[in-house]
Amino acid sequence: MSAKGHIALLLFVLLGFAGVWRLQQRIDVQQRLVESEDDQVMLRSSKLVKSLSLEYAPLMADIYWTRVVQYFGNKHSGKQVDLRLLWPLLDVTSVLDPHLMPVYHMGSMFLSDAAPRGAGRPDLAVELLERGLKANPEEWRLYYDLGYVYYFDMKDYPKASAAFYEGSKNPRALLWMKTLAAKIAAEGGSTETSNFLWQDVYNTANDPLVKENALKHLQLLRAQEDCKQIDAAADEYQKRFGRRPVRMSELVQSGLLRGEPVDALGYPYVLSEDGKAETNPQSPLKEKQFTAAPGK
Amino acid sequence: MTRIGTVALNTFREAVRDRVLYNLVFFALVMMASAILVGQISIDIEQIVIVSLGLSAISIMGLLISVFIGVGLVSKEIDKRTLYALLAKPLRRWEFILGKFAGLALTLTVNTAAMAAGLFLALFYVKHSIERADTAVLVAVYFILLKLALVVALAMLFSCFTTPLLAILFTAGLYIAGLFVHEMRALQGGLIDPAFRRLLQWISYLLPNFENFDVMGAAAHGRAIPGALIAQNTVYAALYCAIVLAVAAAIFSQRNLK
Repeated sequence: MSAKGHIALLLFVLLGFAGVWRLQQRIDVQQRLVESEDDQVMLRSSKLVKSLSLEYAPLMADIYWTRVVQYFGNKHSGKQVDLRLLWPLLDVTSVLDPHLMPVYHMGSMFLSDAAPRGAGRPDLAVELLERGLKANPEEWRLYYDLGYVYYFDMKDYPKASAAFYEGSKNPRALLWMKTLAAKIAAEGGSTETSNFLWQDVYNTANDPLVKENALKHLQLLRAQEDCKQIDAAADEYQKRFGRRPVRMSELVQSGLLRGEPVDALGYPYVLSEDGKAETNPQSPLKEKQFTAAPGK
Repeated sequence: MTRIGTVALNTFREAVRDRVLYNLVFFALVMMASAILVGQISIDIEQIVIVSLGLSAISIMGLLISVFIGVGLVSKEIDKRTLYALLAKPLRRWEFILGKFAGLALTLTVNTAAMAAGLFLALFYVKHSIERADTAVLVAVYFILLKLALVVALAMLFSCFTTPLLAILFTAGLYIAGLFVHEMRALQGGLIDPAFRRLLQWISYLLPNFENFDVMGAAAHGRAIPGALIAQNTVYAALYCAIVLAVAAAIFSQRNLK
């Protein structure tokens, strides 16, 4: 082929691919009209999937787990709260490979967290973790995850304490597991315990989604604690001046606060009409505020 | 044009002689058995099962023919040394490539049309009628045919410069990759390196997107397929085939056949 022929071929290929590129974008628009809007898990029977996977079940588990992460990530970034398929996907994954630890560790977190951060199904998270413990009794971290779900999402402090205590019996478990079990048994839910647990999740998590979630909880716990202290200062103000403060600056001017306090994202706290401290309406933390009790 | 037609017709005759169309018997048996069985064991989803099963069978058999025969189109002629006799005649190498492609495309069209007829017969047996909504099944069959043409073009491209076994592996690999194009684009930015994500998105637009031709779900549920999509997919397949065949013809023209 001559040089001209080569150039003509190259031009044809380049122009052809440019055409393919443009065409693909138009096809994508049309395909969206045809495709069903619902997510689908075609095979929900974990036993059937395992049988069909032959000896490649662990590989299938990896593929299913990747799908779990993609499914949760897409829903999370799209702020969608409908996570109905999370459990069927995790169910199939954990049956395909019962020793795939991230399925239990992260899957239980995805399931138990309240909407919109998670599926709001702590009962299924417990089921998943119990399945994990049955297959991997030596994994003390699963007891930690179980205690975490009981503590934060179910507020079942005796069961949380029992889970931490059971995990602490493992010689490889960290020392504070036993301390934590005792502390929860004695005090139930407390901000200090919640802070400790979330800080540990933040320090040990490798996944950015889990880390981000832990950070949000830590920021909210700090806001909760800050508001308590501001309220204490406001009570003192009322004792001294016979009325509740209306603005934060009044607390600063009276010397009860050193300066106008701000939340973890730098937004100043405000006082509500009844003189109670709360996060600034413009702060992103306001959106993330939990409705649940301590630590949530 | 006449020379390309002659090669195409001979390729078709050769496929018939090689009993390629015997797979139709197997398809007919599958459809008959499933039509009878489905009527007895499924409730309300007979049509969905028949359409899904029929389209899947058409697609799988077509793919097997496209890959295995597509790869052999060039290499067999070289191995048997029949190519030398052909090229000694007034036939250019690119005409040979185009003729071979057209011949297998014709074979696949006849094969697919026969299987589509079988599918409609089974559908009629189950539903006792054929409705307007069933045209979506015809569109799905047409899209399978477009997909198969693209697979044949890719198989021929690879067979022009490598061994048949590697050509089969490359074609199958590219076909599988082409089924995950949307997944490549949907990967979450927070989980992978942004530069790698951009690269994947670029690649996803250049890979042959076989997901474009997948309307099996819509056809099974009798959902209408937009006319614009039919036109765009036709142009897409034609353009992609033209690029691949142009490169294949260029490689084959440069190949030393001694």
